[in-house]
Amino acid sequence: MAHFETEYQRLEASYSDSPPGEENLLMHVPEGSKSQWHHIENLDLFFQRVYNLHQKNGFTCMLLGEIFELVQLLFVVGFTVFLANCVDYDVLFANKFVNHTDSSKVTLPDAILPMDVCSAHIRDNAFVIFVLIISGVFWLHRLVKFLYNVCCYWEIKSFYINALKMSMSELPYATWQEVQARIIEIQKEHQICIHKKELTELDIYHRILRFKNYMVAMVNKSLLPVRFRLPVLGDSVFYTRGLKYNFELIFFWGPGSLFENEWSLKQEYKRGGNRLELADRLASRILWIGIANLLLCPVILVWQILYAFFSYTEIIKREPGSLGARCWSLYGRCYLRHFNELDHELMSRLSKGYKAASKYMNCFLSPLLTVVAKNVAFFAGSLLAVLIALTIYDEDVLAVEHVLSSLTLLGVCITICRSFIPDKHMVFCPEQLLRVILAHIHYMPDHWQGNAHRYETRDQFSQLFQYKAVFILEELLSPVVTPIILIFCLRRKSLEIIDFFRNFTVEVIGVGDTCSFAQMDIRQHGHPAWMSEGKTEASIYQQAEDGKTELSLMHFAITNPHWQPPRETTHFISQLKERVHREAAGASSETHPLSLSESEPRSLVANILAGPSTLGSVHFACDSSLTNNAVTGMPSAATALRSLSPISSSLHLRGSLSAAHRASGFTGRAMTGSGTDARTVSSGSSAWEGQLSSLVLSEYASTEMSIHALYMHELHKQQSRGDLSRHTWHRQESDESSDSIPDEVRSEPNTRSQNFPRSQTFPATLPSPGASSASATSGTNKGHDGEKAQSSSQRRHSGPAADHFGTAGKVVRTARVPMGGWAEDGKASSRHHEPVQEETSEDELPPHIHKVT
Amino acid sequence: MNCRSEVLEVTVEARQVEEAMLALLHTILLHRSTGKFHYKKEGTYSIGTVGTQDIDCDFIDFTFVRVSSEELDRVIRKAVSEFKDALSSDGMGQISLEFYQKKKSRWPFSDECIPWEVWSIKVSVVNLANEQERQICREKVGEKLGEKVINVVEVINRHEYLPKMPTQSEVDNVFDTSLKDVQPYLYKITYQITDSLGTSVSTTMRRLIKDTLAL
Repeated sequence: MAHFETEYQRLEASYSDSPPGEENLLMHVPEGSKSQWHHIENLDLFFQRVYNLHQKNGFTCMLLGEIFELVQLLFVVGFTVFLANCVDYDVLFANKFVNHTDSSKVTLPDAILPMDVCSAHIRDNAFVIFVLIISGVFWLHRLVKFLYNVCCYWEIKSFYINALKMSMSELPYATWQEVQARIIEIQKEHQICIHKKELTELDIYHRILRFKNYMVAMVNKSLLPVRFRLPVLGDSVFYTRGLKYNFELIFFWGPGSLFENEWSLKQEYKRGGNRLELADRLASRILWIGIANLLLCPVILVWQILYAFFSYTEIIKREPGSLGARCWSLYGRCYLRHFNELDHELMSRLSKGYKAASKYMNCFLSPLLTVVAKNVAFFAGSLLAVLIALTIYDEDVLAVEHVLSSLTLLGVCITICRSFIPDKHMVFCPEQLLRVILAHIHYMPDHWQGNAHRYETRDQFSQLFQYKAVFILEELLSPVVTPIILIFCLRRKSLEIIDFFRNFTVEVIGVGDTCSFAQMDIRQHGHPAWMSEGKTEASIYQQAEDGKTELSLMHFAITNPHWQPPRETTHFISQLKERVHREAAGASSETHPLSLSESEPRSLVANILAGPSTLGSVHFACDSSLTNNAVTGMPSAATALRSLSPISSSLHLRGSLSAAHRASGFTGRAMTGSGTDARTVSSGSSAWEGQLSSLVLSEYASTEMSIHALYMHELHKQQSRGDLSRHTWHRQESDESSDSIPDEVRSEPNTRSQNFPRSQTFPATLPSPGASSASATSGTNKGHDGEKAQSSSQRRHSGPAADHFGTAGKVVRTARVPMGGWAEDGKASSRHHEPVQEETSEDELPPHIHKVT
Repeated sequence: MNCRSEVLEVTVEARQVEEAMLALLHTILLHRSTGKFHYKKEGTYSIGTVGTQDIDCDFIDFTFVRVSSEELDRVIRKAVSEFKDALSSDGMGQISLEFYQKKKSRWPFSDECIPWEVWSIKVSVVNLANEQERQICREKVGEKLGEKVINVVEVINRHEYLPKMPTQSEVDNVFDTSLKDVQPYLYKITYQITDSLGTSVSTTMRRLIKDTLAL
């Protein structure tokens, strides 16, 4: 034992009978930090990486993918330069005669200029050098980034292997829910997060999706200037990767952004005191970033064009029809995304809706175009037929100049025309199709219902679901348009943005600052027209539009059945589930409509099911086969479906009778896919643990969520029909308010006066800055104090903040009453506040494009 | 930020700054120090003793307990007197005591220091006009410090994350083993003058670089 120079000396005498030795000392056993996974510094980044690695199917796949991307980049640039400078096109086109001693054939090497000529060409061309330098810098940046990522992900890989005990080879076959469950398990042992003993699913989602939730909320509240009314094009949406990148740069991580670091909003933005000053600062920052964009515009433009050229020419050549194909727009992905929905969940949902959506869009082929296309196709077809016949007779025809190219052109022409000619056997049933789409995309504006056959609806839907060609075009235009939007539209919104971040940010223990919408708290953000009547205390400003809070909540609860929501929320969920069950049961005994307790006209679910027999029958056909293997005591996700099974079988019969609907055909195909899997799996499903079960669960979940979404929409429709006066106008009003912003910005240089009506919906903005900011601030402060006291409490703010929001809400609501006049304002009922976008991860354009922008 | 942060606020007279800071920092460190570890064979260790000492303040009616280690005291005193010199006669400042863990990294990167608990003490300095007020202040500050000490103890009494006891090879990652007679958790004392506690340019730059590198 060491001796210390302390005042407390050992009394040697008293130890006389036991020799002063080391044997008697108390011995400790170090726990040792066997794993390095305790207490991770940046959990946001960490969870994001864990998720990315899972989505990219493990380390090797990711590594290979990145390496190939690097090589591809080099190739793109090198090959372009080569084509432009080192090829003698005269030789290639046989305009110039080549002297060959031994043979008369022209070979490829003949057409290539010698090295020195080539390099001289390049040196003389300033533009080429410019392009080379840009791409060189860009490539180096990517290389450094790649190396950095390899190091980071190596660590994540060992986390998977050592801590989560999952090998890289099984990773592609494990669902995210499984990985997540293991992370939660591990927290108990390693304390990855030091604030709490246990992590919840919601914590992990919050961290991964922190900024995406903000974006979804901002689009939901129509805060971002992405909708414009243009002179010729009418109502349109412009949201590209470049724009999105800039938004994120401004709000979340750029220099001087609102966020201090990944997990907390800067203190000054949480206080209402100097919001005007902060708004000014934000506006000037946006201006600078806009100007920077403007200056960099040529560089980005060149890059976009090069990249688009190489990514798409090959596809267009191979299948020219692909440009006529559609994809979910960036805005659509943002508008349709739930709060707390991960990329893969969104993508699978949208992909399921893809067929129905393209079918729906095809219903609207213009008859005029069809007539023209038919005839063009006819003439082109005859020419093509003759040429082909001649070629078959004697292939020398091919050697005639331009015959081969006309063959190709005619082929392309016919393919394009064909895409304008509707299938002869197609039946026009937009309303049903829209219902099927809704089952997957979960969101749509109210006025679409019943108007599915209208051209306006189609136009609005096309903002969510655009032509790929349009998508590419927008991306190409983006470098030019982005600075304009930033400078002229976004800058005007700086005050609203500041208010948004102040009002809708809550600090959650163990997570940091998150968007309060993402808490999915019905009380604070519910919308009375979406089943949270009486439960919500939100003012119009605080309500999420389109029932986003409610639908997100259901979605999250269904995809994460182990999640334990706060009590009120549990109540809401179980109530809703129960209602859906009951309706389903009622629907099955259609002969006894009286058994329904609610006065709703017959069962809602029955409506849903009977209406689009397509969807109902097909969905439940799969389910019923599932339930025949009846697994009793399945978790709740399954029970809902089970209870639906009686109807489903009856509907199944009906559905197959009415199978004349082509629509049912295709959903059938789409759904049977998953259905079969689920069935095979569940037949051996006494074991609910393990990989398979979670797979089954997630497949059930998507179906169950579809039913719930349809049910909620149906209920919403009936409810708003019930007291039309109230709900309609305030929907419109909020739509109006959100929509009107870009418009007025564009058309009226003098926005100040126009601002007034809007401020009613955003009450915190103008009329009572003092009150609202004060309440928000005190909420925050209290929260802080409270936190110290009750570290165990999950939500810092839940107590005090809720009260404050409550009071604020009451004030606002009274303000709303005299504003009935707004209904007239909302004459733009056809206009929608629609989509929202955001991007998830990958689409056609390479991930690096948005980095440049 | 995966770390707890606690904030203490005090208002003192210029001459009391040093003692007040020492009192608080020493109180925290008293609870965050152990005796030296003596590893026997791999797997077990014994803990040495730590003495404590009562310290009476000259300018405040207050007595606090500190670890009786001159070395530790010297280090703290040095940091505090730097802080005191930097602090103007009536200004605001913040001194923070950060406990961290080191995490060994692979070659190209340096070791990471990951904080797990940060104590920030916000100080505002007041000027007093006459002797009578000074007398009152002397007692008031004493009472306030007493409350703060209770606060600190309450926080420390909670069962919250602490680094696990390390094995011999890892002891340097958790504890500061440079002192002869006592072994506090690894800590760092930093201070900031002025009340605008904005992020510095260097942090922004570092983040910018990191962000561009991120996938």
